[in-house]
Amino acid sequence: MSSFEKRAWLALWSQCPPYLVYFVVQGVWPNWLTTFLERIACLAVVASVHAIAYVTGLLVMKWQERAEPLLLDERDRAIDGRATRTAYFVMLAGMIVVGVVMPFSDTGWKITNTALFAIVLAETVRYALIVTGYRRRPRLAH
Amino acid sequence: MPTESLTNEVRLLRFLARDMTQAELGKRVGLTRQTIAAIEQGRYSPSLEVAFRIADVFGKRLDEVFHWNPGGAAETGDAT
Repeated sequence: MSSFEKRAWLALWSQCPPYLVYFVVQGVWPNWLTTFLERIACLAVVASVHAIAYVTGLLVMKWQERAEPLLLDERDRAIDGRATRTAYFVMLAGMIVVGVVMPFSDTGWKITNTALFAIVLAETVRYALIVTGYRRRPRLAH
Repeated sequence: MPTESLTNEVRLLRFLARDMTQAELGKRVGLTRQTIAAIEQGRYSPSLEVAFRIADVFGKRLDEVFHWNPGGAAETGDAT
């Protein structure tokens, strides 16, 4: 498995569980947290869990790869390019919902959480496409 | 759906080049070991520039290393 693919797996595994829990809690019990401070603290905890898991994994990977630093070649860049292109459109759709549609019907934390969801979804799509990109059959045109 | 395929002799040529490793070949052409493995298994078709570089490493012409099979199935022994 290439270093770039490993990093994509790490990003997926460090990002999805904490944000999944956060969005499920926000969706099922939207009024569980009431004050601004509680909500911000909850978000900070989730973001910290994500950051700590990712950075720890990255440090472990860097230590394992100390003799062979990360080298991105044309295949890695092509896979990354395809994944990023698709994720961009996911993000675009999310931002249209958040910035163009929701201000007329929703307010406050609902908009904030939807924006956050769009960002997390776009990132998840990107890393998922990177991971699957290493397994797909080639198209002959680059 | 098109069934064209690009096959290659990279694995054979590595063997003939005194068992050159995938990592060594990758280093000489600017690819990772994993990408060389993917090329050998037919999972990745390299760019023309890289294909020329690979052929150059083995001192071969491009068409001696890579074969285009129009409408045919992949026939490299190592294709998955």
